[in-house]
Amino acid sequence: MLSGYWHFLPEVLVVAAALAALFGEYLPGKDRGTAYLGAVVAALAALLVAFGGTAAPMVFGQVEPDGIARFARTGVAGLTAVWLLWVAGRGMPGERRREAVALALFAASGGMLLSMAEDLIVMYIALELSTMPAYVLMGYRRSDVPGLEGSLKYFLLSMLTSIVMLYGLSFVYGISGTTAFSGIDLSAGGILGVIAVLLVLVGLLAKMSAAPFHYWAPDAYAGGAPVAVAFVSTVPKIAGIAVMTRLFGAIAPGVPALPLVLASAAALSMVLGNLAALPQSDIRRLMAYSGVAHTGYLLMALAAGTSMGYIATVFYAVAYAVPSMAVMLVAAEEGVELSDLAGLARTRPWVAWSMLVWLLSLIGIPPLAGFFGKLYLFGAALDAAMVWLVVLGVVTSVISAGYYFRVVREMFLAEPGAGVADAADGAVVTARSRSAATALVLCAVATIAIGLAASPLLASLGVRL
Amino acid sequence: MIEVGPAAFMGLAAVLFTLGLYGAVARKSAVMVLMSLELMAVSVNLNVVALSRFVTPTEMTGQVFAIFTMVVSAAEIGLGLALVLAIYRQTRSIELTTMDSLKG
Repeated sequence: MLSGYWHFLPEVLVVAAALAALFGEYLPGKDRGTAYLGAVVAALAALLVAFGGTAAPMVFGQVEPDGIARFARTGVAGLTAVWLLWVAGRGMPGERRREAVALALFAASGGMLLSMAEDLIVMYIALELSTMPAYVLMGYRRSDVPGLEGSLKYFLLSMLTSIVMLYGLSFVYGISGTTAFSGIDLSAGGILGVIAVLLVLVGLLAKMSAAPFHYWAPDAYAGGAPVAVAFVSTVPKIAGIAVMTRLFGAIAPGVPALPLVLASAAALSMVLGNLAALPQSDIRRLMAYSGVAHTGYLLMALAAGTSMGYIATVFYAVAYAVPSMAVMLVAAEEGVELSDLAGLARTRPWVAWSMLVWLLSLIGIPPLAGFFGKLYLFGAALDAAMVWLVVLGVVTSVISAGYYFRVVREMFLAEPGAGVADAADGAVVTARSRSAATALVLCAVATIAIGLAASPLLASLGVRL
Repeated sequence: MIEVGPAAFMGLAAVLFTLGLYGAVARKSAVMVLMSLELMAVSVNLNVVALSRFVTPTEMTGQVFAIFTMVVSAAEIGLGLALVLAIYRQTRSIELTTMDSLKG
């Protein structure tokens, strides 16, 4: 029984690093050293997970470190490491960074646990652990009123949806008589089962910022510091998607209407997200709406309800999160207005070319990560005979090129602007930073590498192509 | 002797939940919204404990679930109040309607 506990070693390491980060003033190198330490430990945790193998359900069946969990945990820990590396170089705007390091690591440990949760209670605790530090990160700067307001709105909505979801979970437990995913059976619940699933869906969809519960995301993100948004909008999402595949796999057999509901939410998210992103000039808002759209793509494969669909969903969650975080980190360096990126190709060519890689991946251009991610998503939906959804997905992907290429045009064709236009929001950085640059390069390499290594990665997730 | 079944508890929980939901959506003061959210959390706990008693009377699953959700919601309320306090220090107001520096 105890022999399998080394599977938790990555989480233990991350939590230990988070606790150490709280005492950052006693660590060598103070704040910067703390961030480096966090980055190294998170990277180590990612490697441990990636090469750690999988296992059957353990700890009384409450967690299952299977292929999906391994992929999602690696993604969570790896992205946290990249984020911390960037923070080590650039810092948090206006505040010291050691608490941010601790918060990010706590959120990462929650996300890693969430990815392998096989029990309603574990899922709820891990979900809260992965999102609660996010509120603090969003309102990190105590004198920044828009940031605090964005954080409070995010907090209130997130807590409301948590409780709605929890209310649904209480019925799921009541009908099934157990909190283990493997024992969930809603077919006996009748109308109560439908209500339970609807409540759970409302909560989870709102957390994933899927339409029609997405309206909080652009507002909340537009208030936060871009560096906080980079973390909050990506890392918890990977874990949330991973646990959704597990939970929906458990409840789907008892609820025949689930695919249709998910497909409708997917269609609505893709259309609303992509159309609303078109006129945005604030990169945070643009990426928030693009996040809504990408949640739509993810829900498409969740609606398919096949194991291939679930694997494609988790694969795309990571393939989306890497470039999305990188774009927000660049916004944190250059400024959050689209015009702040003007002439980036001339002032910082390598950043502009990396941005191009990320944006092309988000659109879904081969051979980048996003292309294969979308290919598998659409393939899973086609296998489930949801042709209309795939057509909608392809059409909205083409529409999404519209706003991503606006960013590209700004970088490559516009004249460089005043540069240090609004140093007031702490976003504009001119100094060189080797570790921040490394973080961005890592994101670009990962975006290409995930695309090139798509089939071995998918094989590691349990697909035989 | 009146028999009190699971429906009574679930009905009470539903009433509390609806009251809380109404408060969370309709109230303008951030503190009142937090209290309404707490009311909803309590209704969930009631639901879980009652279901545990009637569905799996020999196990403590529901009670354990309720303990965990209580701790989590206490932590969340603490965090929420800290945020409200931080905003109050800056703007001298906790009315959600005055928080319009972000417009979607």
